Amino acid sequence: MSNVVREDVTLEQTWGELAQTLEAVDIDGALQETAAGAVRATRAGLFRRAFATLAGVAGLATLAEDAAAARGQTKNDIAILRFDLVLEYLQAGLYTEAERLGELTPKTLGWARVVGAHERAHVQAIKNLLGRDTVPSPTFNYGKVTSDEKAFIKTAVGFEDLTAALLKWQAPRLDSRSIVAAVVTLHSVETRHAAWIRHIVGLRPAARAFDQPASQQRMAELIAATHFISSRPRVTGRRRPKYTG
Amino acid sequence: MSRRAVAAALTIGLALVIAAAAIRVARDDRAADVGSSGRSLAAAARALPRPEGPAFVVGKPARLRADETRARSAPVVRPAVAKAAPARSAAAVAPLPVETPEGTSNIVLVLGERTRSGTQWVRVRLPVLPNGRTAWVPRAALGGYRFVHTRLLVDRERLRATLFYDGRPIFHAPVGVGRPEWPTPSGRFYIRDKLAGFGDPFYGPVAFGTSARSAVLTDWPAGGFVGIHGTNEPQLIPGQVSHGCIRLRNADILRLGRLMPVGTPLVIR
Repeated sequence: MSNVVREDVTLEQTWGELAQTLEAVDIDGALQETAAGAVRATRAGLFRRAFATLAGVAGLATLAEDAAAARGQTKNDIAILRFDLVLEYLQAGLYTEAERLGELTPKTLGWARVVGAHERAHVQAIKNLLGRDTVPSPTFNYGKVTSDEKAFIKTAVGFEDLTAALLKWQAPRLDSRSIVAAVVTLHSVETRHAAWIRHIVGLRPAARAFDQPASQQRMAELIAATHFISSRPRVTGRRRPKYTG
Repeated sequence: MSRRAVAAALTIGLALVIAAAAIRVARDDRAADVGSSGRSLAAAARALPRPEGPAFVVGKPARLRADETRARSAPVVRPAVAKAAPARSAAAVAPLPVETPEGTSNIVLVLGERTRSGTQWVRVRLPVLPNGRTAWVPRAALGGYRFVHTRLLVDRERLRATLFYDGRPIFHAPVGVGRPEWPTPSGRFYIRDKLAGFGDPFYGPVAFGTSARSAVLTDWPAGGFVGIHGTNEPQLIPGQVSHGCIRLRNADILRLGRLMPVGTPLVIR
């Protein structure tokens, strides 16, 4: 990683670099020689599944409208909080896996350890607020991003920048002022994470005089493009066993 | 001193007194202004609507425990051939399908990683004979990692199973193991899947599939995998009673079914 501070790296550039990194991480080519009649899940299929997960998270809000109304939360607020919860699951999972694998440099691992602890606390706080309206964590497959220094850092910069941008977009769209008050406490922490990881990688921590928001729709598309959300493995069944007995 | 000099001195003195007084007045005015604006700001702040408290407060950072023990597993998501070394040119060890004979995802226990020429390879424990075999597969052939904190130990001599969580025993039960002619294999394995609701009293209410295979009953349907399951003959437990499977009384296998996740490492000694 370069230690030279790069100026004016924007959100779109950050994402562009991240997309390239994830493309480079894809090692389908390695499979071609080892696969025996490989049947591959298509990228389009994975994208559809991830996007459906995120869209479903927002759509499910209608089911719990009554319970939420009793707590002073609107359908709109629940949809936003559920989206945030999935994003927090995604981040917490990424940093937790990186910490557990322990393959990154000490400096990056130290960052992942601290930020992972924050993101797990965010998950718990949002789950507590949503109560019965919470959503379970999707299944994630981070591939080699959690053990590859360059890929991890670029992904972390992308996620932290984008999370801060998303919260800026969501805050004025929330109905409840008390939820706005809570969300801004997350926002400042996410911006600190973003500045910290940018500093580690040699990017200017504060790139611009004003930060732009990123919409929830845009965020959903970008998350889907990472292919981190995967199908849940089927580890239980009802078929009669054929074990030796 | 002449009269003129005295007059000049008096004039200068008077001028100094007047100047000092003027400075003092100006200072007092400024102080009064500041006090006034400060009071105005405080009044303005009081006039603001009372802020609402946050809907949630984020608790302390949730750090991972330093002493947690964990194992990780991953499903095979793309058919691949496990290699003897982390290289495309290495000898093939065994094919890895995406499903088990029971129709569940084919889980492998992950033991380590290595990157060669930009490709990440993962060393995995295989569900093949000879038992205990490990090999390398490309990371891209596997799905997301799943971590567990549990480990199951089966002692064939003491006829006892013990489940550990982060190194602490949380479950133990008597077991039935293979008869001398069909011994339960010893070694390091893992739990591949969990079956329930299949309606066969011989296997009890719950059956776990393991990566262990009978070295004797190689022509057994589906490859002779060793399971951990319940029984319809509880009076035979503990003992050397099975074809190689590990049998528990039904109450014990139901409890183990609630405590032991798929992907748990298994040691049979």
